[in-house]
Amino acid sequence: MKVILEVNNLKKTFKLSKKQQKIEKTKLKVRVAVNNLSFKAYEGQIYGLLGPNGAGKTTTLRIISTLIKQDEGDALVDGLSISKSPEKVRSKIGFLTSDLKLDDFFTPNYLFDYFSNLHGVDAKVRNERKELMFKKFGIDEFKEVKVSDLSTGMKQKVSLVISLVHDPKIIIFDEPTNGLDVITAKTVIDFLLDLKTQGKTIILSTHIFSLVERICDQVGIIIDGRMVLETSMADFSVPNSLEKRFFELYEQNRGEIYG
Amino acid sequence: MANLWTIIKKELRRFFTDKRMLVSLLLPGILIFVLYSIMGDVMVNNLGQGADQVYTLKVENEPTGFADALETVYHLDYQDELTSEEALLKIENKELDLYLVFPVNFLDDYEAGLNPTIEMHYNASSMTSSTMMNIYSSFLSNSLQQYGMDVSNHATDIDTSIMLITGMVPFLLITFLFTGAMAVAPESIAGEKERGTIANLLITPVKRSNIALGKIIALSIVAFTSAASSFIGLMLSLPKLLGGTVGFDFSMYSVGAYLMLLLVIISTVLIFIVMIALVSTYAKSIKEATSLAMPLMIVVMLVGVSTLMGSAATSAYLYLIPIYNSVNSLVSIFSLEFNLVNFILTIVSNLVVTGLGIFLLTRMFNSEKIMFRK
Repeated sequence: MKVILEVNNLKKTFKLSKKQQKIEKTKLKVRVAVNNLSFKAYEGQIYGLLGPNGAGKTTTLRIISTLIKQDEGDALVDGLSISKSPEKVRSKIGFLTSDLKLDDFFTPNYLFDYFSNLHGVDAKVRNERKELMFKKFGIDEFKEVKVSDLSTGMKQKVSLVISLVHDPKIIIFDEPTNGLDVITAKTVIDFLLDLKTQGKTIILSTHIFSLVERICDQVGIIIDGRMVLETSMADFSVPNSLEKRFFELYEQNRGEIYG
Repeated sequence: MANLWTIIKKELRRFFTDKRMLVSLLLPGILIFVLYSIMGDVMVNNLGQGADQVYTLKVENEPTGFADALETVYHLDYQDELTSEEALLKIENKELDLYLVFPVNFLDDYEAGLNPTIEMHYNASSMTSSTMMNIYSSFLSNSLQQYGMDVSNHATDIDTSIMLITGMVPFLLITFLFTGAMAVAPESIAGEKERGTIANLLITPVKRSNIALGKIIALSIVAFTSAASSFIGLMLSLPKLLGGTVGFDFSMYSVGAYLMLLLVIISTVLIFIVMIALVSTYAKSIKEATSLAMPLMIVVMLVGVSTLMGSAATSAYLYLIPIYNSVNSLVSIFSLEFNLVNFILTIVSNLVVTGLGIFLLTRMFNSEKIMFRK
């Protein structure tokens, strides 16, 4: 299988302000968010990044998406370095996170066209893609409604579709089902599986064990910024074995993040 | 009472422990001191009241000793060779500052208590003529007691209109341009950061320099539209605004003047948008951007106020200073006394600073510390 994402020894630190030091009850001036992290994801697979809040999952995904820069290490996205070719990497990645919001003033229809144009998608291809995806997610019904008037679920569907306007090879979803009702969450999960069958690589960050067990091919467990386990989901065929293993690892590794 | 004190303490703590807020509160005083100190000197020179200013005048039958007394303080160039007609023509053309005619036996008549009348001719649309008129009038009132004055202002209606327009419009226009920029730039950049929509743009393959340039151009168009609307409204309402003492006719200015005006306005809008865009990119929210832009607004207002005297700077190097150059170029254009070199310096300087601003903005868009500051 072709390696489509190769993450090598990523490290990212954040300076702690006095206020943050007080909140986190530490005298250390720097927090290591991602510590020598490496993993590989293959074409046509779903890779689950599992970890507690603050483990460094989102930071890792933001680095891969070139939104922020790593201190050390590199990642290759379809052979392109995130350090050397960030703009080309962006055209290969679709990124969806709750941090990315849609502009309330515009309609889904306008935003789809806008982001397609920014990605340089041909108008004909754009319209075909839009028709297909709007139909699939039921966006047709509210495509001319301003985002400000949409429900949370509707907005999430629009965000999802917009992250895919350019038909990226790698799709990065940070907690994609957070805050969604069960119906919308199911639509999103079904869509992820659909993308997988199309040969897309999906990197999924979550702390929901059942979701990982259900759809992922590989899993990486991140605790305190470090990859403590990377393995195939075939190793967790026994129900709840992933959750059990996770807590064992969590107990072994917690509390060593400050450097 | 204890509750009242608790509320007061909390409010004061809010303002005096926030470094940014504190800067916004105290910076205006510092800026006012620095700017007024610098501008004071510049304005005195521009107003023709500097130590080196030479006033031109023709005085007929001037009593002995008057000229000597005045020349101990002022540099006067007596042009006695002019005929009466030539003097009046030069006054109208702003080539002579003052023309006085004393009666032939002025001092004898004065001492006899006959209240002799002095003819005074000046041009109110010329700053140096008005100044010279005031100087001589003050000298007479300090030296003499009972005499008459027959004062004639030789400014044409157009000159008067231009003088009033020059004194008021550049300041208002610069204010419109800045407020137009303030209305849109914080919303477009700080607003996008605050709402979390900017990251969607940053993960597209578009170069950060294109994002910066795209924002600047779009915001400039909006700010320009707003300023143009205010400007046209102002010009059309001028006759009523000034109580019918002045009329504005678009034909008072040539096509070339309008073209230069347009270029100065566009380059100034770009400067304002870039400055506020930089502040907005640094800020976390619209509120913070607006607060941080307040010192800029004070600077713009103070520079704008310097035009209320209606005289443009003459030194070319001053036209390299953004905002100050725009204000002075506007004064020059409105007063029909524009200088091509100064105009070119203004446009080039503003465009260079805009370019540097866009470069800096691109760097800021590339900085995660600025773009994702919490």
